[in-house]
Amino acid sequence: MFGNGMTGDPASRISDLLVPKASFFTWLDSLRERLSIIGPVAEEGRAVFREIASSGELYMEYESTMLSPGKVYLCSPREDLFRLSFGKGLSIEEPPRDSAQRIIVGIHACDTNAVLYLDRTFLGTFRDPLYEERRRNTILIALNCGTASKNCFCSSVGTGPFLKVESGYDMLLTDFGEDYLVEIKTAGARRLFDVDDIRGAGHEDFRLKDEKERSALRTFTKTINTEGLNKLLRENPEHPVWRHTAEERCLSCTNCVMVCPTCFCYDVVDEISMDMKTVRRYRQWDACQDTRFAEVHGGNFRARRSARLRQFVTHKLDQMHQYGVSGTVGCGRCITWCPTGIDLTEMAKQVQGK
Amino acid sequence: MNKPRLGFFKYSCCAGCEFQTFYFQKHLAETLAAFDIVYAKMVLRGGAPEGPFDLALVEGTITEAWQVDELKKVRKNSTLLFAIGACAVNGGIPAIKALAPELEVEEKVYKDLSTIHSIRPQPINVYVPVDGYIRGCPPGARDLYEALTSVLAQKKPGFLTYSVCVECKLERNICILVAYGMPCMGPVTNAGCGALCPTYKRPCYSCFGAMKQANAPALAHKFRKLGLSEDDIRRKFTMFDANSAESRKAADFSED
Repeated sequence: MFGNGMTGDPASRISDLLVPKASFFTWLDSLRERLSIIGPVAEEGRAVFREIASSGELYMEYESTMLSPGKVYLCSPREDLFRLSFGKGLSIEEPPRDSAQRIIVGIHACDTNAVLYLDRTFLGTFRDPLYEERRRNTILIALNCGTASKNCFCSSVGTGPFLKVESGYDMLLTDFGEDYLVEIKTAGARRLFDVDDIRGAGHEDFRLKDEKERSALRTFTKTINTEGLNKLLRENPEHPVWRHTAEERCLSCTNCVMVCPTCFCYDVVDEISMDMKTVRRYRQWDACQDTRFAEVHGGNFRARRSARLRQFVTHKLDQMHQYGVSGTVGCGRCITWCPTGIDLTEMAKQVQGK
Repeated sequence: MNKPRLGFFKYSCCAGCEFQTFYFQKHLAETLAAFDIVYAKMVLRGGAPEGPFDLALVEGTITEAWQVDELKKVRKNSTLLFAIGACAVNGGIPAIKALAPELEVEEKVYKDLSTIHSIRPQPINVYVPVDGYIRGCPPGARDLYEALTSVLAQKKPGFLTYSVCVECKLERNICILVAYGMPCMGPVTNAGCGALCPTYKRPCYSCFGAMKQANAPALAHKFRKLGLSEDDIRRKFTMFDANSAESRKAADFSED
């Protein structure tokens, strides 16, 4: 087991180091026999997180990916839950647990915060055993962002471009040119990180880090003012922006939900065998934009497209009451991957009367 | 328990759905074992077209008057009646002829019209109540299986209602519409195929038809911005689904 923040390791800084990139990647490669390493790679010109065979494949300068690594590798898109068999009695067979030991390297600040958000859902009042096992067996090596892409607005919601939370992940990297500034956050990561070619990071290095953060902050073009937005959204459920956007642009295609790193809904499906003797129960990502999502006995409480669109946007922007944190991490994926380019920050501005 | 009595009826179509059901699908042997095939021309000589049936599967578009008469009889003789395939579900390819006057279409194809008794193409639910829709051209494996097992388990089938995009994202495919500007119909098309075409980087052409509440005009507008001509846009929305209100909205929209 590794000690990521979830297991209650001390949140204080354990080590801050400057490590030549070459040494860092050599170390990463040395882990491959024991661990599966997931990182950003370029595939047909697009960044995507997948398992790598060598650190040479990594594309650490990536801007964003369509799917967030946390959602793909911690909340599997589709997974079997169990198989029921009706014979002489009833028997339940669970699939073998996914106990692979993983490292996710290069996960940006927004996506790291998104994992912490998923933790609130799956490790809160109800603990999801499948999520919990994967989370416990995954080392997160976060990476601060040097530049914002055009749809990023993490700086407006406090989730980036530099990672501010101190726990819940294992290591934090900042690009220092030839070196990485490596901040180790957990005892488990400290034990694992046996690199000789290092030097301790001092005040000067953290001054440089602050400078890099300020320069990253200057690259943002998209912003959102969240002050009072909760209340405003709640008071304007019939604002014309919902209807107009739903009529003119929203396709109900669910792309926004599927690419959202904090959307956690899943559907549970039973598949019966033709001989009626076994039932396979699996779950897969679900989306509030599907007409059937809010269908209950007696009706559908979000039958209109505008109501479904509003559900997504307010779940992201007005969620302080669910977990005490914002539902959006400002990654901008819902804007980038919307076929018609619907922008929730623009919708918020319209409700705010700007 | 007696096996459910199954009838398979064909109207104007390629018969691909019956072929799929009785020759191609993955669960073929189980299907043949689980049902009592009472009438299906591809697997049974003769048979009993008058039923009665626990389940009637009906493929094909209604394009002739005799088909309407027979369909009504089938409905009377069946406990459950499902439309199978794009033609029966929403008109499918034969519905293209709904876009022009009957005489014009007939004259394009036949020299002598004296024996042609074609009527406007319609999906089967225009004439009889339908209990379930197994979409696709040919029908998707998932929905066909769900339909057959639901009849066996005597439960309501859980047909998919969301767009192809959901299945595409579950496959973790990069969106070819957004990333590469391909005119993909996925966002307005009912799921069930497992995002077959987009997985191979081919734009969806909507053989499963428009999903419920599809916002076709908004996607047509996007296609226009990608540089598609009005004719191309109209053809995209009417190839499989010329009869559906959703698709017609996009087609009409593209004419102004």
